[in-house]
Amino acid sequence: MTESVTPSTASKSGDAERRADMLARLGRLLTQADRPYALYVAFAVLLVVFSLASPWFLSLDNFLNIGRQTALVSIIAIGMTFVIIARQIDLSVGSTLALSGMVAALAMTYVANNWLVGAIAGLGTGALVGLINGFLTMRLAIPSFLVTLGSLSAARGLALMLTNTKPVIIANDAYIAIFGESSFAGIPVPIAWTLAAAIVGILLLHFSIYGRQIYAAGGNPTAALYSGIHIKRVTTLAFVLTGMLAGLAGLVLSARSHAARPDVVQGMELDVIASVILGGCSLFGGRGFILGTLLGSLIIGTLNNGLVLLGVSSSLQLVIKGAIIVAAVAFTRR
Amino acid sequence: MTSMPGSKAFLTALMVTAATLGLSMPYADAQVPDTCVKGVDLATAPTSIIGQGPNGEKAASVDTLKLTDEEAAKVKAGKFKVGISMQTVNLDWSQLQVQGITDTLGKYGVEVIGTASAEYQVDKQIADIENTIQRHPDGIISIPVDGTATAATYKKVSQAGIKLVFMDNVPTGLKHPQEYASMISADSQGNGWIAAQILASCMPQGGTIGLVNFGVDYFSTNERTKGVNDWMAKNRPDIKIKQVDFTDPSKVSQVAGDFLTGNPDVKGLFAVWDQPALDTLTSMRAQGVNIPVTTVDLGLESSIEIAKGGPLKATGSQRPYDQGVAEAMAMMKALIGQTPPAWVGVQSLPVVQSNVLESYKTVFKKDPPAQLLDACNAAKPACN
Repeated sequence: MTESVTPSTASKSGDAERRADMLARLGRLLTQADRPYALYVAFAVLLVVFSLASPWFLSLDNFLNIGRQTALVSIIAIGMTFVIIARQIDLSVGSTLALSGMVAALAMTYVANNWLVGAIAGLGTGALVGLINGFLTMRLAIPSFLVTLGSLSAARGLALMLTNTKPVIIANDAYIAIFGESSFAGIPVPIAWTLAAAIVGILLLHFSIYGRQIYAAGGNPTAALYSGIHIKRVTTLAFVLTGMLAGLAGLVLSARSHAARPDVVQGMELDVIASVILGGCSLFGGRGFILGTLLGSLIIGTLNNGLVLLGVSSSLQLVIKGAIIVAAVAFTRR
Repeated sequence: MTSMPGSKAFLTALMVTAATLGLSMPYADAQVPDTCVKGVDLATAPTSIIGQGPNGEKAASVDTLKLTDEEAAKVKAGKFKVGISMQTVNLDWSQLQVQGITDTLGKYGVEVIGTASAEYQVDKQIADIENTIQRHPDGIISIPVDGTATAATYKKVSQAGIKLVFMDNVPTGLKHPQEYASMISADSQGNGWIAAQILASCMPQGGTIGLVNFGVDYFSTNERTKGVNDWMAKNRPDIKIKQVDFTDPSKVSQVAGDFLTGNPDVKGLFAVWDQPALDTLTSMRAQGVNIPVTTVDLGLESSIEIAKGGPLKATGSQRPYDQGVAEAMAMMKALIGQTPPAWVGVQSLPVVQSNVLESYKTVFKKDPPAQLLDACNAAKPACN
């Protein structure tokens, strides 16, 4: 796929050309992968199979369940898509989520009991961890696998240290409503935040200059460098975005459980990375799309949900899930 | 960032789709009988130890560990030193244990030379114990991280002439009294019994309950679930029992939520410890389900939920501080040459809305924090 690095000249051209460019972008939005249609087919097959197998699967309530259950992974996976397209990885997202939730809850307890204070503290903490990840990776040229393996441990440690491992109870009703338990236009807020993050992600990745720079930085760094793209800055920004989204996920989780806990979502980074790769993103950079990532997350979430509805034993669930994920990746790739 | 004109149309389309998706959400309230919690005489909670030890032995009571004045003087004259080896020190449970041990030993002039934390790793615990042996204490109090892999190392402790007291579990193959002095544990079956009794009081005749169970073979959680099943079979055979297992504690919210979707006949839940119970409450709130839940263990979050009078009705709590006291007493008996019982059980504590403040004090040995008091005050007079 070379279209991702094509510089845009649309703004200077005529209407027809602009329309053609628009269509091409929409095409990329839906299909930025080798065999993206296979991904949609895989999801559809899963839906049909579970609908036939369980009388409880095919209902609005259950789909809302799946949406809520996948919200945390989906939100972070949107950021991870940028990082992986830029040929990097971020293993620290689960720890960043925990740390952000803790800082948000502590800020509301000790600074001001206002949801906005919590939100800014949480998102800021996430962004800061992302900035540190990006800085160490790009400025000091340490592989991001190692940098974020370090911050995976350090951020978790900090989260545990803040309260000597104790949870922080959240008593702010506005915060709980906004990030956890109310509905926005009929959609439970965890899902609404996922949609909001997805829209921002789609606009950034598929409809902005920054998105084209990210594809270029990951697809062919040398060419990107010679065409004047500031790879270090662009990639650092991807880490910051991922950190902020991990922070947002931290707000959602702490609001849903009425408390921030330092030991939550251990190992979640693997679910996030699996969603992104299943969604058609290349681990070697340069390729991937937001809707694919969301589909990847939904496929894994639907599997988790359907297997419990069918009453499959918890150990067997892990085996089936692993096998289906590998099969799906094999099926959607050449 | 530049945004294209088409993006606006796309955004609108997404919002319309989203709005049509969220049409309605039915909220289900369970038919909870009036006897719920109120119908339970807490005095009928287990007054002795229900479960049996890992080797089928009967539990001795904590009272058997009392020291006479003469014995106490002997302990004080001994100037003994004791080391502690924990699986972690990051839990309220372990901090209270260590506090109970340290306070009690301190009263009798026994010095605690250090507390090692194995961070749940077998190799770390083996190193911890070997290092402690090198410091030549008179006794070691420890909870084994693993039932088999640490056995050989614990045998070295008794070979070195050091007295050994276990909390909660005895590693495979160790013999009483040659290789260890005593094992002190909570009554896990009794805790399950309490949770079952109170949950049953909230269930109509012929109702169905669900057990949110840990799918990993682990002595104390197995015992709790067994306690629930046994109590139901004996006292409420009309109640049907379904079960869902989780292996990853971070996924309980999803697993329990989906279990409720797939089993709408379930009108009451038991979760095997308090954190899974809280995660279950999270998905119940999201799904608009309100059915009674009981569990085992008490923490600040779970005590607040009980105080509020929400779906979490009760817990059968351990008493980690009191267990620590018993471990210290057993150790001192052993240090002056006596043979304490192979297994001593610490009685369970039923915690409901009406006794949650007092129970918090009993378990944590300190006054309830402001958050718990606030929650309780808001639910007066039911909460005490």
